Amino acid sequence: MSWVLLRTNPALQAGFEGFMTVRILIADDHPVVRHGLRTLLGEHLGWEVIAEAADGMEAVEMADRLSPDVVVLDISMPKMHGLEACRLIRENAPSCEILIVTQHDSPQMLQEALLCGARGYVVKANAARDLLAAVDAVSQHRNFAVQLKDGANAG
Amino acid sequence: MKVRILIADDHEVVRRGLVTLLQSHEGWEICGEATDGRAAVEKARELKPDVVIVDIGMPGLNGLAATRQLVQQDPHCKVIVLTITDSDQVIREALDAGARGFVLKSDAARDLIAAVEALQRNRMFFTPRVNDLVLAGFLDHGNGATNAPPRLPRLTPREREVIQLLAEGKSSKEVACVLNLSTKTAETHRSNIMRKLGFHSIRDLVVYAVKNNIIQVQIPSHVSATATGEDPAA
Repeated sequence: MSWVLLRTNPALQAGFEGFMTVRILIADDHPVVRHGLRTLLGEHLGWEVIAEAADGMEAVEMADRLSPDVVVLDISMPKMHGLEACRLIRENAPSCEILIVTQHDSPQMLQEALLCGARGYVVKANAARDLLAAVDAVSQHRNFAVQLKDGANAG
Repeated sequence: MKVRILIADDHEVVRRGLVTLLQSHEGWEICGEATDGRAAVEKARELKPDVVIVDIGMPGLNGLAATRQLVQQDPHCKVIVLTITDSDQVIREALDAGARGFVLKSDAARDLIAAVEALQRNRMFFTPRVNDLVLAGFLDHGNGATNAPPRLPRLTPREREVIQLLAEGKSSKEVACVLNLSTKTAETHRSNIMRKLGFHSIRDLVVYAVKNNIIQVQIPSHVSATATGEDPAA
């Protein structure tokens, strides 16, 4: 059975809900990080990286055009700050969930990300450990954040 | 014959990206990965790679100190430094440490293959900015002048290691444990450092470590933008 048929047929979807493809957009200005994220996410059955964006503006445009289920979004990016991109993506496509993957291990930044509509927050240093669980959670519209340096988390 | 590459970066996501990138090149093999500078030096001793790719901002022993030790351990060791900044000081320190390649992380996907190829042919690889700096230094030297910053007090490689660990918040006892020294020796290093640099507090030492790229701190972009009066979204 093809994924296309499965995606377009609600009756089949009901029986295969657990197997629906999660369509992911990666946005990070460092190609090497994008490669790494793609490799990690590509190992998970049923997830598909549909596109990569190299800056915040491109992320907003691609999210608008491709309607991914999850956007894995860096914060420090050129052209448009990741949090601004997060806010705009959530405004344009409320069903799209945002997972922030950033180098900023800071509760303040986590709070700002949540205020901008992010569903999850992963620190890059721990991405290999947390990424899969985080994408799994946010793709099911659940929050994800682990304990940060001085004790805050997203709850 | 295969080119054997060791990758040292504390972020697994970056290592994964580098492995994917480099493994696609025929005849290259990733012989090992290290998560900090100290592990890189140990793995290089054990695995004898042809090329070591070293991130600068690593905990415990940063990439510049690791490069120094890698080259000291094996003068034929070819090190490519990966960095998020190409400030004059970082470039000078990388060259001084014995790096033969210098690649910006943001350009790694484009430049890293070319850098490893260059080192394979016993050449060096630098970004255009490094080339400019080297050329400027050469020309200045020819004119008997130099733009080099004033020399800092001479610190031994061991003292630099101690500075990084102290600046990362470790106590003398913890420093001793990491470096396999007695606590007393670690304390002696600490007081020698403070005396040489004229410091009276650990705070001074942390500021010194940050200013001299011994440790790297991440300042949220909106904070630095506010500090410089720039638009945070820029």
